Amino acid sequence: MSEADRAARAKLRVGIPKALNVWTTHQFWLGFFQSLGLSPRNVVFSSDTSDEQMREFGSGRGTVDCCYPVKCVSGHYGELIFGQKRKIDILFSPMIYSLASFLDGHAMDSLACPRVMAAPENIKAGFLREKDVFAENRIAHVAPLVTLAEPKLVPRQLFDALQGVVPGLGIEETARAVEEGYATLAAFNENLRARSREILEWCARERRPCVMVLARPYHMDPGIGHEIEADLQACGYPILWLQYFPTDPELLNWIFRADLAEGLIKHPFDIDDVWPSSYSANTNEILWGAKVAARVPWITCAIRLASYECGMDQPSFTPVQQIVERSGTLFFSFQELDSTKAAGSVKIRVETISYYLERNSPGIIEAKLRHMDPACPLLRRPVSADLPA
Amino acid sequence: MRIVGIDVGSTTVKAVVTEEGEVLWRDYQRHNTRQAEKLHEFLGRMEAEAGLTPDEDLVFLTGSGAGLTAPMVGGKLIQEVVAVAAAVEKLHPDVRFVSEIGGEDMKTIFFTESGAGKTKQVYMQSACSGGTGTFIEKTARKLRIPAEELADMPYDGMSLHKVSSKCGIFAETDANTLLKGGVPVGEIIASLFEAVVYQNLATLTKGNTPQPEVLLLGGPNLFFRGLQQAWRHHLANLWEERGVTLPEGLTVADVIRVPEEALYYAALGCVEIGRGEAEGIGRYTGSGKLRWWIDEGQHEAKAKEGGKALARGADDIRRFEAEYRGSGAAGPATAKPAPKAAREPEPLFIGCDFGSTTAKAVVLSASGDMRFTTYVQSRGNPIEDAKSLFRDIHLSGVEDVAGLALTGYGKDLLKDILGADIGVVETVAHAKSALDIFPEADVICDVGGTDVKIMILRQGTVADFRLNSQCSSGNGAFLQGVAERYGIELEDYAAKAFEAKSMPSLAMGCGVFLQSDIVNQQRKGWSAEEIMASLAAVLPMNVWIYAGQLQNLRAAGRRFVLQGGTHRNMAVVKAQVDFIKAKVPEAEVIIHPHSGEAGAIGAALCAREAWDPDRPSRFAGFARIEALNYRSTTSEDTVCTWCAVNCKRAFIDVEVTGAEGRAWSKVPLEPGWERVISGNSCPKGLVEDANEMRVVKEEMEEQRRAYPNLGEVVRETAFRRAVVRG
Repeated sequence: MSEADRAARAKLRVGIPKALNVWTTHQFWLGFFQSLGLSPRNVVFSSDTSDEQMREFGSGRGTVDCCYPVKCVSGHYGELIFGQKRKIDILFSPMIYSLASFLDGHAMDSLACPRVMAAPENIKAGFLREKDVFAENRIAHVAPLVTLAEPKLVPRQLFDALQGVVPGLGIEETARAVEEGYATLAAFNENLRARSREILEWCARERRPCVMVLARPYHMDPGIGHEIEADLQACGYPILWLQYFPTDPELLNWIFRADLAEGLIKHPFDIDDVWPSSYSANTNEILWGAKVAARVPWITCAIRLASYECGMDQPSFTPVQQIVERSGTLFFSFQELDSTKAAGSVKIRVETISYYLERNSPGIIEAKLRHMDPACPLLRRPVSADLPA
Repeated sequence: MRIVGIDVGSTTVKAVVTEEGEVLWRDYQRHNTRQAEKLHEFLGRMEAEAGLTPDEDLVFLTGSGAGLTAPMVGGKLIQEVVAVAAAVEKLHPDVRFVSEIGGEDMKTIFFTESGAGKTKQVYMQSACSGGTGTFIEKTARKLRIPAEELADMPYDGMSLHKVSSKCGIFAETDANTLLKGGVPVGEIIASLFEAVVYQNLATLTKGNTPQPEVLLLGGPNLFFRGLQQAWRHHLANLWEERGVTLPEGLTVADVIRVPEEALYYAALGCVEIGRGEAEGIGRYTGSGKLRWWIDEGQHEAKAKEGGKALARGADDIRRFEAEYRGSGAAGPATAKPAPKAAREPEPLFIGCDFGSTTAKAVVLSASGDMRFTTYVQSRGNPIEDAKSLFRDIHLSGVEDVAGLALTGYGKDLLKDILGADIGVVETVAHAKSALDIFPEADVICDVGGTDVKIMILRQGTVADFRLNSQCSSGNGAFLQGVAERYGIELEDYAAKAFEAKSMPSLAMGCGVFLQSDIVNQQRKGWSAEEIMASLAAVLPMNVWIYAGQLQNLRAAGRRFVLQGGTHRNMAVVKAQVDFIKAKVPEAEVIIHPHSGEAGAIGAALCAREAWDPDRPSRFAGFARIEALNYRSTTSEDTVCTWCAVNCKRAFIDVEVTGAEGRAWSKVPLEPGWERVISGNSCPKGLVEDANEMRVVKEEMEEQRRAYPNLGEVVRETAFRRAVVRG
């Protein structure tokens, strides 16, 4: 890389809409761009989704009627184009075709929802139909199709998209940057899995309940999931998200011991028993999460979040509910999340859930423990002192 | 040859008679839902005053009523937007954007210059009242603003408040709240104009920027000066933001036009299109057939439509009454206490339901006997309400209380003051009470005066809860309103509705449009009984599908409990039972025997369940409650500042031993006192101010620090710069 390219890259600013599957690939992109010599300060994300963001930056930019998580991306685009103190040079909005998943190798495929994948095309149109807003603001809209489930294809996909946009870009350094992206994301995920494991160890030791959230990654966005799980957290329950459940084989073998012994599944990550058409990465993981929630004794309640009219979630509503409920675990779902939080009814529902959690958890833990091998790996490690005793 | 253009709209009829392009005659009038009659009257006047001649002149019609009436007069039907666009193209070649707002619909048209001329992009919505003329007028009527005054009310320079832009009924509630909070009427109306323009831009632009020049059409745009100002304000902002430049020498006011004939564009467009039609198309055949329709035809149509009724014959009613007679029709339970001698000395439990409009209490014995019930209309001071309830209970002969449980909106406020053993969330209370009478219940449907609640039970828990308190389409108040309008007592509603041998079909959904649908059906000759029957029949659809958003009743379960005041109306019960059984044939439907008290009963049951004979109740005692010492403060410092409504709250401070007080408050409270906030119009107002919010937030933060949430970890750490390894 020439000195001039290096200097140019250090000044290059990239804006990434904090939306959809960026909620599960964030660190990949940070690692990737940093490896290419961009300053970490210059890789910025839009803010969390909000009504204000949509009103200020996205109104009148909608094109195709779609689910709210896709629709709201107009606001993220607008904010990145018009709302930055220091203008961005690149609006980087990956069309993520497939996702790296911990279930890879055990499911049919690992695809993203097609509407979610195509969102950049859909949203871009609202900024092009009258005049080219990107050109006018001297911003390059870069929306490569990326197959994150097939790492070998990714360097070429990103190189083709960024060539000429990132000065002096070469294919080999792109490949290195992709590797760095995967490594950064993996390190982040491992760290969060370790946090989940700490919570579970505390629950096992203290015989205390926790709650598992079953939802798509972007329901972590306060504007999409409305922080419903945080309201339960405030009632005094640790909250796990299925995406970051520990994946250490010892623990998983303990959880799925009976299923493996009976030959119902071939591997702890096998979901063929409940979801044979396992093509969608996020859906597959939700189904797996439901199986885990049903088996882990201290997860006494699962909360399902889904956005209004989500075609990907709908077929999984009944299986997920039945998997969780059949184990005696409490199950509550918020299935029609939209742009506004129905604060009144959510408050009543959270109080309701908290009532049953408090009343039923001891019995649920006991009943579920009866099915498990007493030698639980969660009780074996030295005590970590983060949580209240 | 004359060419006539007529726009038969949802609230008015507008017509022009032209000859050789000259307008000879024009008029518009409100039809008060009598579209055909008004059209007939117009045709008669056009014949007399403008020489309209059958078999010679041409008639072209557009608007919501044209589909039915055009063939009767030999006229040709023209699509509304096509008509408006034709007139605009003819009269204003420079216009790029049109907004036409009607009584019950709204449209936008974008004209784009392209190589071969102009292309049109048209958007329209007519399913919901948001953004339409009715939206403004309905609320203005409620605020008792005369039409002339409304027309002149400004938008410019007014403070704006948050009003729902989506639905006329939501907006009316918001307007009421604002009014109660002392917001001047002028500011409320300006906020409505704001909401209408916002709704039009939000739903009907779809990514297009309205470009100058702009034409505003339709009654509301023409008559409401404030609405025009709101458009100018918003378009000017939009243009500045998107870098749209105005033509040389023109101002915003110049390029946003409201033509004097703004009402007639659809009618003029009909004429414009008619001129290009082939010979003989649209030849006026006279008004005779229309007359026949008005006098006879529409009534025949009524007979054809009828046939179904709430009661399918006498047998059906007999069967229904045998099963449900007396269940729930009894009105509020008035269980008199049995003579003292006859009563076993049993532990007694009190359950109280402090709702937003009434407070109720029941006394339940350990064996489940309902010993006493009472209620009080809330008078804005929860302490006085509580005193009144407990005075009644004491007077009924209750002395010793083994347990007290509270539910409803006031449960947290009053728990310590009254010495309640537990506070129970309303869903749990309702479920408890339903499961007590129907242990296998799957679904509880509570239809009250102002809200609809649906609870779905699974594994003995309330697995799902639907609350609709903002849309009037499913609740009892609407039914009551209609019964009142016919001068029928609510008790006689069912008997009347069962008399009807047939009934019209009303459309499920928006209450605003349901009202005009009723007027329409009345006009077709449907009687009061028949309309009341049809209203009861449409209620289940509104409750389950429209308000409850529950498409698949079967998935919800098989055993249904109906409760809430509206289910005291047996016509509603009949409709509910038929509706549920049509969807779930093996369904069992029962009416809660104490429909209105279910919440309080559930609370009492919870108190009984939590009872430990070895641990005394925390109940403060009748004497202590009667003697509760309180002082009420209403001052500048008690005004709620969470939103622009600025509710004038009252701080009711009650002496309670051991209470913490509120040292941080603007109205400080010494230890030994507890504060109850009242007079707020939303739950937010229960939090005193930013000081208390800080205290509450800190408590929550502490809780959240103690109990981690992986989602929160992602929110806080995932979007920060990555640490580059090695």
